[in-house]
Amino acid sequence: MLDTLIELLPEILKATGETLLMLAICLSAAILIGGALGLLVFLTSKGQSLERFRAFNLIANGVINVVRSFPFIILLVAISPFTRVIAGTSIGPLAASVPLSIAAIFYFARLIEQTLRDVPRGVIEAAEAMGASPLQIIRHVLLVEGRSGLILAVTVLAVSFLSYSAVAGVVGGGGIGDLAIRYGYYRFQTDVMLITIVLLVVLVQSIQFFGQWFARHVDKR
Amino acid sequence: MSKLASSRPAIELRNVSRRYTDPGGRSVGVQPTSLSVPQGEIHGIIGFSGAGKSTLLRLVNLLERPDAGEVIVHGDDLTRLSAAGLRQARHRIGMIFQHFNLLHNQTVADNVALPMRIAGADPARIRERVQVCLDFVGLAEKADVYPGRLSGGQKQRVAIARALAPEPHVLLADEPTSALDPRTTLDLLGVLANANRQFGVTILLVSHEMEVIRRLCHRVSVMEGGHIVEQLDIADGRIPEGSQLASWLSDFGAVGPAASPSPATDADEPTPRHFALEAAHA
Repeated sequence: MLDTLIELLPEILKATGETLLMLAICLSAAILIGGALGLLVFLTSKGQSLERFRAFNLIANGVINVVRSFPFIILLVAISPFTRVIAGTSIGPLAASVPLSIAAIFYFARLIEQTLRDVPRGVIEAAEAMGASPLQIIRHVLLVEGRSGLILAVTVLAVSFLSYSAVAGVVGGGGIGDLAIRYGYYRFQTDVMLITIVLLVVLVQSIQFFGQWFARHVDKR
Repeated sequence: MSKLASSRPAIELRNVSRRYTDPGGRSVGVQPTSLSVPQGEIHGIIGFSGAGKSTLLRLVNLLERPDAGEVIVHGDDLTRLSAAGLRQARHRIGMIFQHFNLLHNQTVADNVALPMRIAGADPARIRERVQVCLDFVGLAEKADVYPGRLSGGQKQRVAIARALAPEPHVLLADEPTSALDPRTTLDLLGVLANANRQFGVTILLVSHEMEVIRRLCHRVSVMEGGHIVEQLDIADGRIPEGSQLASWLSDFGAVGPAASPSPATDADEPTPRHFALEAAHA
């Protein structure tokens, strides 16, 4: 097994790099776009300060549900023409980042919207009574009182999409999952399978540990 | 404060109504009702649960929008303001709540600074006001503590400091002592009376606790079924005989199911301590 490890080390490093690249891209897209979408869906829900834009809320909720209904592998194939337009190709980690980002954006939007419901209504109301605008409520209340929940949401997102990125390997996305499938599964190299699984376990544990530590660190409630 | 400002009421509600259906299917809220509170007054609103007193209070800063009527605070009809205009007006209307509603992830000082940050005040001015207001409520040494480490009474003091920081004309208090024990309640009434005396802030306070009304308020409006059914002057903490409120007091000892017996509500007490009047004579 040690021999295999040494022999495959360049491949493993390359695959790890690809996985981290895909994660970095889809997490950034999810946090920026999905986070904004989640905030808007929350603020336009019943009883919140932008409730008057209920139409947006209904439409956005519908779209989020539709995208989240797709099994990821179907989404991956279904949007491949779009992927080619964006990434110029449908093969490789950059191309795989397109469907990953789309799935992550809507997944994270839902996660954020639900996390923000834990911010007590009374605190938001107190800010409204002070004359806070919706942007000020986001900045001074939601991002402050919801911050540990938001960090845990990013943690869940990162762990989920580490695993989704392995699925992207099936269509030539690259990454650790791709390595596991090509060597460990197709070629029956159990030792490679083990190495990749250990690597993924270590990655997931680290993400989870760091996420929880950080969330606890910023939680003063 | 200009002479013009002192000649008009701080708060004027003209024929406001706000109806909604409660979870039990009953129509509740505020019937067309008017209320005028002069500058510098501590005005109480008392009544049973569901009488519409909190709704009436929340109409004053438009947390509830009236179905009809005018809400005039410091000369502006809030119902006619744009969203930005209303936010401006709210910068000068403080509010405190039964459950304090502090930010738990911010220090006491940052909580007190929040309304001024929202209003876009100058950082040096914010620091100065935070200091003054924390001194005023006696919590200057807690500036860097998070609210989770404070008692209920201290949290409400922080909330009062926060409400006073932007130098409001008007302070709205929604059951501010209902989550506190009787002793802490008395302390807080002292703080509110001092705020009224030192800063001249007009206070409109909702409570179902007779003692709170009796000890703090100059005048009280009694609400029932969405109407103000009676308005009384509270002289020396005495409820005028023959009033609706006096008959409730003799029927129930206090108003509202949540009022608990305490040393402070002892019927034998000769003259209840009246904070606002004491302050006025001081």
